[in-house]
Amino acid sequence: MLQAINLTKKFGELVAVDDLSFTVEKGQIFGIAGPNGAGKSTVYNLITGFFPFEGKLLFNGEDISGKKPHRIAQMGIARTFQVPHTFPSLTVEQALSVGSRFGDNTGFDPEYVDHLLDFLDFQEERYNLTGNLDLIGKKKLMIGAALATRPKLLMLDEPMAGSNAHEIQDLMEFIRRINDEMGVTIIIIEHFMKVLTELTETLLIIESGSKIASGDPDIVTSNKHVVECYLGDAYASDN
Amino acid sequence: MGALMAIIYGGLALMPIFVGGTDHLMHILIMILIWGVVASCWDLIMGFAGIFSFGQVAFFVIGAYASAIVANKFGIPPIFAIFVAGGITAAIGVLVGLPCLRLKGAYVALVTFAVHMILEPFLKGPMGRAIGTGGSRGILTIQPIEIFGFAFTPDHKVAVFYLTLVLAILCSIIILMVIRSFWGTAFLALKDSEDFSASLGVSAFKYKLAVFALTSFLTGMVGGFYGHYVGMLSTRMLGIDLFVTLMIMLVIGGIGHFPGAILGAIVTVTLNEMLSPLGSYRPLILGGLVVVLVLFLPDGVIGLVRRFFNGKSKIQEADA
Ligand SMILES: Nc1ncnc2c1ncn2[C@@H]1O[C@H](COP(=O)(O)OP(=O)(O)OP(=O)(O)O)[C@@H](O)[C@H]1O
Ligand SMILES: [Mg+2]
Repeated sequence: MLQAINLTKKFGELVAVDDLSFTVEKGQIFGIAGPNGAGKSTVYNLITGFFPFEGKLLFNGEDISGKKPHRIAQMGIARTFQVPHTFPSLTVEQALSVGSRFGDNTGFDPEYVDHLLDFLDFQEERYNLTGNLDLIGKKKLMIGAALATRPKLLMLDEPMAGSNAHEIQDLMEFIRRINDEMGVTIIIIEHFMKVLTELTETLLIIESGSKIASGDPDIVTSNKHVVECYLGDAYASDN
Repeated sequence: MGALMAIIYGGLALMPIFVGGTDHLMHILIMILIWGVVASCWDLIMGFAGIFSFGQVAFFVIGAYASAIVANKFGIPPIFAIFVAGGITAAIGVLVGLPCLRLKGAYVALVTFAVHMILEPFLKGPMGRAIGTGGSRGILTIQPIEIFGFAFTPDHKVAVFYLTLVLAILCSIIILMVIRSFWGTAFLALKDSEDFSASLGVSAFKYKLAVFALTSFLTGMVGGFYGHYVGMLSTRMLGIDLFVTLMIMLVIGGIGHFPGAILGAIVTVTLNEMLSPLGSYRPLILGGLVVVLVLFLPDGVIGLVRRFFNGKSKIQEADA
């Protein structure tokens, strides 16, 4: 579904993503982990067209390098942001409608928006302004708006950050349902190892922009190098 | 929104019954309608789309000159010339909008205001004279708009008023429809978060240029209409007075609270007239008023009106 080939991104002197290659298969839940500043969010920004870069990105065989973010969204790649983004001027329903109207190339579908409001358990907040939602609400809103574009691939950037154990369970269940029921391929960046090992089929660990391990999450997390350079950091940090 | 607009224009439509005989007052009413549209356009681009365009007065003047020149030089009837002028202004608006796409907030204000600054020397200079701006003298004769042989000259103020009213209502309906359609949603989404919007498929390029095109079209057209009404043009409008007055209308009306801008135009033009005996103290008082309003009435007069009708809770909800 998604093939990243020798991605490199430099911010001046800093090499945020360094010759990184990986492949995400259709139907997968694919995890990305790594210490703070490893370049995880930057990888998302490259895939969704926010920055120019070196290397190549193939989405279902089509080269998407250099395409504008809104085009990439319309092609079927949706994402959430690490720092919650909302539309303070819009209601929950309107925000989802933005995704459906502009991101779904089969056209605006109010029934689907309504269905998503049910799916997200958002009917009560339907007419609330999105700026007034709490943290969990804002994250749900980002996921809902992304789903409203009817994506083939959904990329989540630390969706569990700031959530308690109970909320994490709910979110995991929710992500599974998106994957199973809607057939959406998912990439998830997460710091919580438990989430990654339970949820993902393939796990990619990066550090300083380079791959240090990838493959089956149980095997990857027992890798010595990974434990050394990553896990200490992961348990210490909850952002 | 629509109901309030209907009340405002309905009320204005009745005014000639009371003051139809007083030319001076009719002129004020006509100008209220004209500035109401210009301020609404400014509100659409700044309040809704979040683009700090400071070229509104420039677009008005460009439209006024364009219409006068097109009518004078090519003999196009003024009633059509104002639409041509709208088109010309829209084209210039898009040209100005292009570099603004890459810029944020204050820089957009600088670029758009630069257009305002360049305009006066351009209109007065040799290039302007070459296209018929009349240089520093300005354009001294502009034909009035004629419909079925009736000329809408300043001698027929009541007739001009109703024609202006029709035009203002048309413009306001267009603005209202745009705000209510998915275009308006796209503008608000882009204002709130360009990245989030882009990730959902909204093209900033398309919708930002569209709002530049639409607001400069309407502003230019109304500018053309103004020129044919007053019958002469100079670059005096490009002074700071009109710019500040428009800004006051927007602040009084409430930025991003259409049709507040129309209310703002009514209040501001009226105040301006009432304060005119104060001469050079007038700008001082208006300036002070802006400060007080921004501090104590951030939603403008319309915030007050809405609070009156809806009770306090809704406003607070919308603010948070
Ligand atoms: N727009 C930018 N301009 C300059 N440097 C940037 C930019 N975005 C990210 N960086 C830098 O690139 C590096 C990777 O950042 P990135 O946000 O991708 O890390 P991350 O793996 O997502 O970290 P975290 O776990 O803290 O979210 C960091 O050193 C960061 O400072
Ligand atoms: Mg990150």
